[in-house]
Amino acid sequence: MNTTTADYTREVPVVVGRPNASEIEAVIAAPLDQFPPRGWWIAFSVTLSMLTLGACCIGVSVYKGLGVWGVNQPVGWGFDIVNFVFWIGIGHAGTLISAILFLMRQRWRTGIARFAEAMTIFAVICAGIFPLLHTGRPWLPLYLTPYPNQHGLWINFTSPLVWDVFAVSTYFTVSLVFWYLGLIPDLATLRDRTTSKVKKTLYAAFSLGWRHSHRHWHHYERAYLILAGFATPLVLSVHTIVSFDFAVSVIPGWHTTIFPPYFVAGAVFSGFAMVQNVLVVVRRIFNLTHIITLDHLEKMNKVMILTGSMVGYAYGMEFFMAWYSGNQFEQFVFLNRALGPYAWAYWTMVSCNVIFPQLFWIKKVRRSIPMMFAIGILVNVGMWFERFVIVVTSLHRDFLPSSWGMYVPTFYDVGILVGSFGLFFTLILIFIRTLPVVSISEVKAVVEGAQPHHD
Amino acid sequence: MTKGPLYAITALFDTPDAVMHAAGETAKVFTHYDVNTPYPLHGMDHAMRLRPSRMGFFALAFGLLGTVSAVGLMTWVTLVEYPMVIGGKPFWSWPAFVPIAFELTVLLASVLSVVAMIVIYFKFPNNRHPLHDTMYMRRVSSDMFGVYVKAEDPAFDEQKVRGHFARLGATQIDAVYFIVPEETERPKIFEPKFLGVLAVTAIVAMGATYVTYNKLLYMVPFNWMSDQAKLKAQKPSDLFGNGIGMRPPVEGTVARGFLPYPFKGKPDDAGKYLLNPLLPTAAVLERGKSKFLTYCSPCHGNFGSGDSRLAGQFPSPPTLHSDKVRNWPDGNLYHVITEGQNVMPSYATQISREDRWAIVHYVRVLERAHNAKESDLR
Amino acid sequence: MSTTAIPENVKRPMPPSVVHLGWFLLAGGLIVFLGAYVTDARRAAFDNVILLLFLASLAAGSLFLVALEHLAGAVWSTPMRRLIEFLAGLTPLLPLVGLPLLFHLHDLFHWTHAEVVAGDQILQGKTAYLNVPFFVLRFFAVCLTWLLFFWLFTRNSLKQDRTGDQKLTTRNARLAAAFLPVFAITLTVTAVDWGMSLEPHWFSTIFGVYYFAGTALAAVALATLVVVYLLDAGYLPPLRGDNLYSLGALMFAFVNFWAYIAFSQFLLLWYANLPEETFWFMHRWEHGWQVVSISLIVVHFAVPYFALLPQEAKMDRKRLKIMAIWILAARLVDLYWLIMPSFGDSVTLGWQELGIPLVATGLVIVVLAWKMQRHNLVPVGDPKLSRGLDFRL
Repeated sequence: MNTTTADYTREVPVVVGRPNASEIEAVIAAPLDQFPPRGWWIAFSVTLSMLTLGACCIGVSVYKGLGVWGVNQPVGWGFDIVNFVFWIGIGHAGTLISAILFLMRQRWRTGIARFAEAMTIFAVICAGIFPLLHTGRPWLPLYLTPYPNQHGLWINFTSPLVWDVFAVSTYFTVSLVFWYLGLIPDLATLRDRTTSKVKKTLYAAFSLGWRHSHRHWHHYERAYLILAGFATPLVLSVHTIVSFDFAVSVIPGWHTTIFPPYFVAGAVFSGFAMVQNVLVVVRRIFNLTHIITLDHLEKMNKVMILTGSMVGYAYGMEFFMAWYSGNQFEQFVFLNRALGPYAWAYWTMVSCNVIFPQLFWIKKVRRSIPMMFAIGILVNVGMWFERFVIVVTSLHRDFLPSSWGMYVPTFYDVGILVGSFGLFFTLILIFIRTLPVVSISEVKAVVEGAQPHHD
Repeated sequence: MTKGPLYAITALFDTPDAVMHAAGETAKVFTHYDVNTPYPLHGMDHAMRLRPSRMGFFALAFGLLGTVSAVGLMTWVTLVEYPMVIGGKPFWSWPAFVPIAFELTVLLASVLSVVAMIVIYFKFPNNRHPLHDTMYMRRVSSDMFGVYVKAEDPAFDEQKVRGHFARLGATQIDAVYFIVPEETERPKIFEPKFLGVLAVTAIVAMGATYVTYNKLLYMVPFNWMSDQAKLKAQKPSDLFGNGIGMRPPVEGTVARGFLPYPFKGKPDDAGKYLLNPLLPTAAVLERGKSKFLTYCSPCHGNFGSGDSRLAGQFPSPPTLHSDKVRNWPDGNLYHVITEGQNVMPSYATQISREDRWAIVHYVRVLERAHNAKESDLR
Repeated sequence: MSTTAIPENVKRPMPPSVVHLGWFLLAGGLIVFLGAYVTDARRAAFDNVILLLFLASLAAGSLFLVALEHLAGAVWSTPMRRLIEFLAGLTPLLPLVGLPLLFHLHDLFHWTHAEVVAGDQILQGKTAYLNVPFFVLRFFAVCLTWLLFFWLFTRNSLKQDRTGDQKLTTRNARLAAAFLPVFAITLTVTAVDWGMSLEPHWFSTIFGVYYFAGTALAAVALATLVVVYLLDAGYLPPLRGDNLYSLGALMFAFVNFWAYIAFSQFLLLWYANLPEETFWFMHRWEHGWQVVSISLIVVHFAVPYFALLPQEAKMDRKRLKIMAIWILAARLVDLYWLIMPSFGDSVTLGWQELGIPLVATGLVIVVLAWKMQRHNLVPVGDPKLSRGLDFRL
């Protein structure tokens, strides 16, 4: 494909090759009719073992108590909160692709939106485990909700931890509803093409009887737009509320006003890296390279430069203001991050988040599958370390030197992190074999020739 | 399977332009018709002359409901039910309410709008519609576009409709019949099977909740925080000989702010050194009277003359108007109340020190009344 | 396949009555400022800062919108892009607007007083950044940088009118990519220097983002106003509601974004309740400033939010025109709320402040008129133009 001179007079087709509706349907629905191949089973056994490891570590943590973790004074929040913020952040890319790109009428989102939304839901499930566990008595989640009780107790509505409860639950519910709404027409299509009686009953039940009636499409499109319109500020608000967990405190390195947009940009950054990584694999194994094209991947990489630069801007602003404020505690935090005992984490974060993604300025790198995959992985590592640096370095050395200490994660901390990745990828593996990974009806609608001509 | 009456005549079209044109033409003649496409076509709303969807109002209404409930709940809790000073902020701190109010607005607006749309507009779930499992539905689900006119349309005539579609260039025209039994266009929410599943789910959920919160939470390891090894009030203990966890204070323990009675067994010293700290005001005398009547009168009589019900039983409670008692300094009286005397027990645990002094004042009043002089009347 | 004909490459100057109005407003505003400087130089300087920040918003914000179109490859804005480039023509005038201020730095900033700094350890720590030579240097560096990018963007765009060379669009896209980080830094410097250092003991890492939110909003509002106005007057080829929708949607989005940033800044400082930070908001809650603070929420958020919420409202020309004017006025209220409390404790509003909207309006009209006289209103050489004219949602 010759790209020396781009032709701006013509719109770049979203789907390559002008397949017709039934071809699109066939290629997307193909994996659902086949028994999973060996590669899938190998991957599934790996992720399932990771999940099992995590489950065992969680079991021990519940039985023996959180003393088996590395958290203690002064670092009361460790891997638990780092992982929570990490996973919530990953989820944001899905909503951004699905909702925000929809509002911006970017039709290239159709190939990747379904998968991204599913990833959001799975990421939020993984994220939700951590705040639940870190309460110490995860079997009493009701205590986090405002219900009338005999103790006469109510939750503290002014605490950001309570805001988190509402934000994450809302995010999960709305994402699930949005994803399901998009699935209804596809489930109806699958219902009408499947030959298996069991599958047909399931598809029929979950598609609720969708008939592709335009009188329904009429309301459906409006509802989709409304949901997208609500999901957009929702996604901003969720990670903003997560950032409030830190920013409303008085801890140097945490109490800084730029946290809300900085966290949101960082979330989108890490989320896109994860989506890009997984899609690079999925499009190859399912022969979807003409629907999830190199152009789409390139656009995702451009979004990564944009959000990565916003994260870099935030690093710079924090650093400058730490100096400008004249606050010695604030100044010390930043010196400690770069030169103290956790400097290795800090420099990993800076190189993975700021330095390596700059390679995406080069078009060749943006369009190279191996390179973008590698940078995506590095970004994910870097963003995990960013949360680690924020949480641990600010806690381990704050105001009083006599209170300083070190944080050392235990086997169980690491095991639960590994387990969360296991859960995430297990859910993805199950998803790709039970539901269409690309939105069949949306892609059919954006192929060339799909829409009537205007008179 | 016998077919029911005719439901509609359906027609399939190959291209989006064809179905758009067909929809426009059909809208001119008929009212009870619909269009089926595998994905929404731009401009079909206009061709079918559909009014703009009212979903936006639903969303706004539910959203406002969310905002009002959230702010209402938080206001009630922080102002009425459970006011607490948190971080030195006022009870009603509106900036802190914004995040939760926003989340609940979005939650209710999104979820309830979609539910309302599915139940009210679509009348779903409904898998018994006549169009299901027809060739027409299979094609429009996949790659063709369709229009159908219902038999109930006032202008319906089967031949006319078939001709109408043929003129518009339909590739396939079919008749679709109701499945017997009828009533396939109403929602199936009240179907017995669905209600049965709902009932089973409810029972299972209730049972699981009951078992969890009433049985499971009292089992190991969930009960470790409630069953702690430390001793609490009323708990037994193996550590002590008498098996009681609560122990009395050690002999000689003195409470804070309390001096032990210094004149134990020394009535004369008490009389010599103790002075009544209270003044004989009306309030004090009232108190003294009330306490006297409660504690002293059962034995010593209502006016201290020893004429109570116990008089006549050996040993009789003495009168308080004897010369001995009248000549006692106040401290002696106080001592007797504190330590008891002969058969009279100590009233130290029942009457506070101040009250004892009040009683002393009252006894003096009684004594003076009992031995009144002329001069007292002036 | 375009159904709308591409307009010819001809200039359509603004009607003389409007041009005269522009000059009249500008002259009037300048006289007000002159009078203000003569009667109370310190107050005039503060008003001048508001004017500078407002015009910088419009100029740099317009450049930002141009860059955004090139970067995103958007087509709906192509028919309007030349107009936005005209509005970015305010950029060369910014040094002139800031010039009087350079002679009044002493009236504006505490940190320019050597004796104040000598007695204040915190201010001494900041002298590496807050000193007059570096301050002036930064101001001119920012203006020059914006001028450079303005010149490069418009040169490519105008050249394309003549040659129709598609490589110029690619060049502009690359230029836009380079511009964005530069824009972020220069805009932050402007906000920190002229806005935040008025209160040198105070600091907020989100301040640059706050000013950016206002900037983007102001630029979109001005672009909307000019586009709708010229569309109604027949100066632009007929554009459907579909093109205007994105302008309405952007205004709505940035209203929300501004409110989000403003509230975040407030909530965090309110929550932690540190006196070294909260005094800035306390200033804006005492001596009459409460009224301005509350009206800011209503005027800058509540009204535009509900007015632009319905989908139809975002395409309706009348609604867009009214809300664009409203939002620009709200921007002035926001900047006034930001800057003026550093002048004095109580709310100072008088004839002197009238100079700000007079000069701003007059200047925009004069610059627009000058540009319309010299260049074509529509980028006829742009390869995306036909797609833009046919754009449907």
